[in-house]
Amino acid sequence: MDLPGPYAVGRYARKLEEEMRRRARVSLIGEVTGLSRSKTQAYFELRDSEGAVPCAIWLNELEKLELPAGGLRDGTEVVIAGGPDYYRGSAQSSPAFYFRATHIRLAGEGDLLARLEALRKQLEAEGLFELQQQLARPVLPRTIGVVTAEAGAARRDLLAGLERRGWHGTVVWAFAPVQDRHAAPAIAGAIQGLAAQPQVETIVVARGGGSLADLWAFCDETLCRTVAMLRVPVISAVGHERDSTLIDDVAAVDCSTPTHAAEAAVPLDCLAAREALKRCAGSLRRGAGGAVAARTPHLVALARGPGRALRRERQALNQKTREIRAASERGVTERLGFQRRLASVVLERARRRAAGPEMQHRREALHRAEVALRAHEPERTLERGYALVEAGEGEPVTSAAAAVAAERVRLRFADGSVGAKVEEDA
Amino acid sequence: MSDKPASYEIAVERLEQIIDRLDSGQAGLRETLELCREGRELVTYCAAELDAVGEGLKELKLDELAQKLDASASPGAS
Repeated sequence: MDLPGPYAVGRYARKLEEEMRRRARVSLIGEVTGLSRSKTQAYFELRDSEGAVPCAIWLNELEKLELPAGGLRDGTEVVIAGGPDYYRGSAQSSPAFYFRATHIRLAGEGDLLARLEALRKQLEAEGLFELQQQLARPVLPRTIGVVTAEAGAARRDLLAGLERRGWHGTVVWAFAPVQDRHAAPAIAGAIQGLAAQPQVETIVVARGGGSLADLWAFCDETLCRTVAMLRVPVISAVGHERDSTLIDDVAAVDCSTPTHAAEAAVPLDCLAAREALKRCAGSLRRGAGGAVAARTPHLVALARGPGRALRRERQALNQKTREIRAASERGVTERLGFQRRLASVVLERARRRAAGPEMQHRREALHRAEVALRAHEPERTLERGYALVEAGEGEPVTSAAAAVAAERVRLRFADGSVGAKVEEDA
Repeated sequence: MSDKPASYEIAVERLEQIIDRLDSGQAGLRETLELCREGRELVTYCAAELDAVGEGLKELKLDELAQKLDASASPGAS
């Protein structure tokens, strides 16, 4: 064996280490497998279909890269930058070869995500996520602007959503390509065009789902800055629920579907609002009528108050009057009693004075006159068998002519009366 | 109406305040009648706003709208 050496292995290992570290720095692309971490480093293999390289990165350097959470994991395609490294080991530790990575970024969609994340952080730090959210959104806009593809399903879904809301205002369409990742300037122009119309109260940007690359136009920095600075609220309905574009972050509202965007654009359910308004009108009618009706009994009671008071006073007055009259009558009665007593005393004295022969004479004359008078009473005559003829009202009929004229008469006997019809003698 | 509400939502908010006040039974007769008058005006306003977006969907393209506005801005232009 005609070879140089033998060299001490430790010395050779150090030379090898120096040689490795002198090699050019490159970037490699491949898939991460076997990711593990020690206290100080992360280890993985970068692999593709033709081979693999063991890789290591210091954890403090990995953290500085601010990769998306979970971005570096088995199966992720990454681009790493660095160069080969050889650890020569020691008396106790084993040597190892690594590709020492100093930078890692996610490749493919992962790469887009990383760039999106970086831009998101930048715009958020500038406060651009809050501007649109601070705008007041009308609950019942009359005119809505919509940016979407002319032939897209989003257009149909949005109209269906507005119809379900019972909203039939004006939709101003600003059609723009939404598929091409270079469509961002056209989309931004359409949004600005709508915002320039004073009638447009809300703008909806709608597009169906797709890959991040398909939706990349909606992550465009210029477009997102344009939206953030608008004074008209923008409702984003780009992609499906799982898709996250940057326009979602800067818009006033982020909706998962065009149908939801319709509800966000017209927060008021017009059909329900009409019913609610009817109920309000009813409440007001009842309020006005009820207020009067509720107070009427009280008012009526109050109106009766003076009447009641008058009656009370009148009753009191009547009572006083009765009392006065009673008192007065008592006084009169007492006076009358007194006068009667006085009169009886006077009369008794007079009677006593008159009780002489003159008085007896007068009494006898009076009795005689009485007897004579009684002899002339008609009843005495009737008792002797005569009858008295009377007309209808009891007036005496004293002639035949008067009897004929009366036609009907009553014949009054001592024991009763009978009716009689007068007939003229032939 | 004494002052037109700034927006539908402001009108509805005021209307709800009025209904709450009326429902509380705390308002005196004069206040009640005044609130009912104001409430009826707000209902009329809200109904008109709903009518404005209830007569049939109108669709315009942005270019058409811009042309209409240009035409109305310069009526003498041929």
